[in-house]
Amino acid sequence: MQKTTVVVIGGGATGVGILRDLCMRGVDAILLEQQDLAYGTSSRYHGLLHSGGRYAVKDAEAGKECIEENTILRKIGRHCVEQTEGFFARTHLDDEAFEGKWVEACAKVGIPTIPISVEEALRLEPNLSPKIKSVYRVPDAAIDGFRMVWQNVASARKYGGRVLTYTTVVGIEHSNNQVVGIKVRNTLTGEVSNIACDFIVSAAGSWAGEIAALAGINVNVQPDRGTLIAFNHRITSRIVNRLRPASDGDIFVPHGSITILGTTSASVNKPDDTVPNAKEVVELLNIGEALFEDIRSYRMLRAFAGTRPLYSADPNATGRGASRGFVTLDHAHDGLKGFVSVVGGKFTTYRLMAEKVTDLVCGYLNVKTPCRTAVENLVEDTSPALMAKARLYFPAYGAELAASRLGSEGLEKVIARIQEKPEKRQLLCECENVTMAEVEEAAADSTSYMISDVRRKTRMGMGTCQGAFCTFRSVGAVDANGLSWGKDTNVLFKEFLQGRWKGIRPILWGNVMREMELTRGIYEGTLNINGAIDNEGI
Amino acid sequence: MREYDIVVIGGGLAGLMAAAAATKRGKKVTLLSLGSGTLTIGGGIVDVMGYLEGGIPAATPSAGLLQVGAGHPYKKIGRPAIEESIRFFKEICEQEGYSYIGNLDKTQWIPTAAGTLKPTCLVPRTMDTTELKKADKVTVLGFDALKDFYPSLIAKNFKKIPAFAQKEYEVVMIDPKLSEGRDVTALDVARWLDTEEGLASCIEKMRNVIDSGSVVIIPPILGTRPSYAVKEKLEKALGCHFVETASVPPSITGLRLRTMLVRYLKKNGVRIVEQAIVAKSIVEDGKCVAVITEGVDRERTYYAKSFILANGGFYGGGLLAEPGKVIEPIFNLPVEAPTDHELWANYSLFSSEAQPFAKLGLDVDEKMRPLDANGKVLLNNVFVAGRNLRGYDFSFEKSGNGVAIASGYQAAMSV
Repeated sequence: MQKTTVVVIGGGATGVGILRDLCMRGVDAILLEQQDLAYGTSSRYHGLLHSGGRYAVKDAEAGKECIEENTILRKIGRHCVEQTEGFFARTHLDDEAFEGKWVEACAKVGIPTIPISVEEALRLEPNLSPKIKSVYRVPDAAIDGFRMVWQNVASARKYGGRVLTYTTVVGIEHSNNQVVGIKVRNTLTGEVSNIACDFIVSAAGSWAGEIAALAGINVNVQPDRGTLIAFNHRITSRIVNRLRPASDGDIFVPHGSITILGTTSASVNKPDDTVPNAKEVVELLNIGEALFEDIRSYRMLRAFAGTRPLYSADPNATGRGASRGFVTLDHAHDGLKGFVSVVGGKFTTYRLMAEKVTDLVCGYLNVKTPCRTAVENLVEDTSPALMAKARLYFPAYGAELAASRLGSEGLEKVIARIQEKPEKRQLLCECENVTMAEVEEAAADSTSYMISDVRRKTRMGMGTCQGAFCTFRSVGAVDANGLSWGKDTNVLFKEFLQGRWKGIRPILWGNVMREMELTRGIYEGTLNINGAIDNEGI
Repeated sequence: MREYDIVVIGGGLAGLMAAAAATKRGKKVTLLSLGSGTLTIGGGIVDVMGYLEGGIPAATPSAGLLQVGAGHPYKKIGRPAIEESIRFFKEICEQEGYSYIGNLDKTQWIPTAAGTLKPTCLVPRTMDTTELKKADKVTVLGFDALKDFYPSLIAKNFKKIPAFAQKEYEVVMIDPKLSEGRDVTALDVARWLDTEEGLASCIEKMRNVIDSGSVVIIPPILGTRPSYAVKEKLEKALGCHFVETASVPPSITGLRLRTMLVRYLKKNGVRIVEQAIVAKSIVEDGKCVAVITEGVDRERTYYAKSFILANGGFYGGGLLAEPGKVIEPIFNLPVEAPTDHELWANYSLFSSEAQPFAKLGLDVDEKMRPLDANGKVLLNNVFVAGRNLRGYDFSFEKSGNGVAIASGYQAAMSV
């Protein structure tokens, strides 16, 4: 039986932040994730590192937390953050009276807002609608949720942290009102086992209610579904927020060569209700038109949805009415010692949430080491010498991308693979500039069990073609490398392509439809992935 | 004003076959082509009917034809015309020295690059599986640096196919040394084998890794030209049998087929206009008088007695999809589609059902003329062929090039 001091449940930003914090303070910890890391809400949002402007009017506390954490994450996670800055733009449809309130509220919590003329704004962002009425600059930034989670894990591992993915919690073991262990099931093998521990921290986000229920404790987390669209263009170089009370479809966030528009908001019953539909997409486009008039001419990549883990002590609060602040629930008050849930909150404040929870746990464990997650960088910077070496093997743009994706150590390993077999420098994924060597390195990681896991680590398959070409190559590469999880390649093909399809289906028109005819032509028409392998055969 | 008998819009397989059939009838034909259709993507394999609704394999292509539903293009075309079209296609191939094997009465299960088998009807001789079926030992040969071919994937998956499980597989690699710092595709390897030096060098490299008498599975690389010269020279030099797999784009077998058909059309006096974007039409009294192309500098008007509309489906641009709506851009022909976009597609990408969106397209009569919602002919001298037709899902059924050939032929015969 495995043993540890603390089990952290949930492989999203908060969970990995807690794992890192615990391990940095010398506490032995294992993190459990029911799917892959960053499978849930941490990758299913717009990737905005909030300045806090969005919350300033309604929730000053959340606004203040945002601006403070924003400043910290820009530093410790600089390889995950693109310092784009942001605009708050009021359109001709929005209430003028709100503008003054908003400026005042931002000033109160310390969020700098700089008014600029509409002409200047249009010069900086020519795709913005010329009908906008007023614009302010704010210190928003874009953040890569996948990478942030991965780099937290990489850092935690250096301090001894362990991660078990595809591991779901089936029971909380306790004795004399004290947690003694946790019962888990491997979702791939079905194997059930126990892990002995003194403490359980649930950072399960939208699933936190389900986890607490295993111990007979009620935690009122209301999953709230938000749907977003990824466009295959950098429509804007800055984040653009609509200057009005928080509502649907009013944030555009650029990430590398794409832009994300979000979100919708709807209460749902299940935390994994994340299948977007065409109606939501059409609604988002209708709303988004107020900020970007040509929105319908931009090529969409996919739609996706996540569930916000809204928490309220009041069981009737839902949607945008619920607070976006976070709460740490010590279940000792519910009669079970050694069990804590952290609920609510948002990506931008994940580190702060982790710090508060870790403080609480360390208090019980009598660990006095102070928190250092706000000062120690997640990954080391890549040295100029290593970058120079990388440029020998990677395409010019690809070298920068690979360095920021992989961090120093990862880059070193990938370069070693290319040095051994020079043809591995070829791009397996042309859309996202991912080399064969990088895919093989990610595939060999102990947390990879399917092609989607490799995708989340490398971004392969996330570009324009959405897997049309790289699916075949990645399955071929996994097989050629003899990886244990590559036994049934038909399953690998189907899992990955179905995952891509989920986001394509609700936007199936225009060039997306063209791309889909191509993809189906390759995998269904030519390679017959879905076809029965007939007994009579040839 | 120059007037042709027929203007064919579209240079994919449906358009090429329509032009070929029209010239055979002595018609004066102009073919307006924007690209090569899906031939260089999907390939030079002629699927006719592989799977029926429910995902059940058709016993033979011929049996499959009889079992399609009422809205299917095959039902409109009818069996005699389909048989004639296949015969005509094979005649052209024979005449051009690049013959195809197979017939409507037998499904050919051919190996794919994913290590699956795929049912089809006609294949070039480079994909003949006769020797493969007989062999006890099979070699799968890959090329270093060719990122679109994984021989171990094929060897491993063939072991799972009952009819192939008893065979012994050996995976070997050769290094064509083509990389020179850029990515290598099957087209690079095929071009290498087009040259005398490349072929000689390839034979030397292969000799080191394969035994005489072997049956060797390879990616589609046996030259880019519509000829069996490369295959024959390789097989003679090494004493082996080579079998090309169905593979991912770029499709070399499709390139060969297109080259051959274009050559045939030119010989038969068809005027081919490349890079022609047909933007609009002139219609008077239920008849099309002309179509207008937009080039980089000017518009051009093409007058003809009849028009064959073979400019593809969603992929080719013959149909445009919008939320809850499909547009046919040249004649603005009606396309029936669910206004609720959620009904366009299944939740599963792969299942035992065809995708509803793949069946969206133009409704036609038995002469391939476009119909309105009440079944009335809309344009008397316009005939529709290929992927813009309603009622079939080529990926699911494995029927793509079969519908292209049969409908192209039927359109030309109906003029």
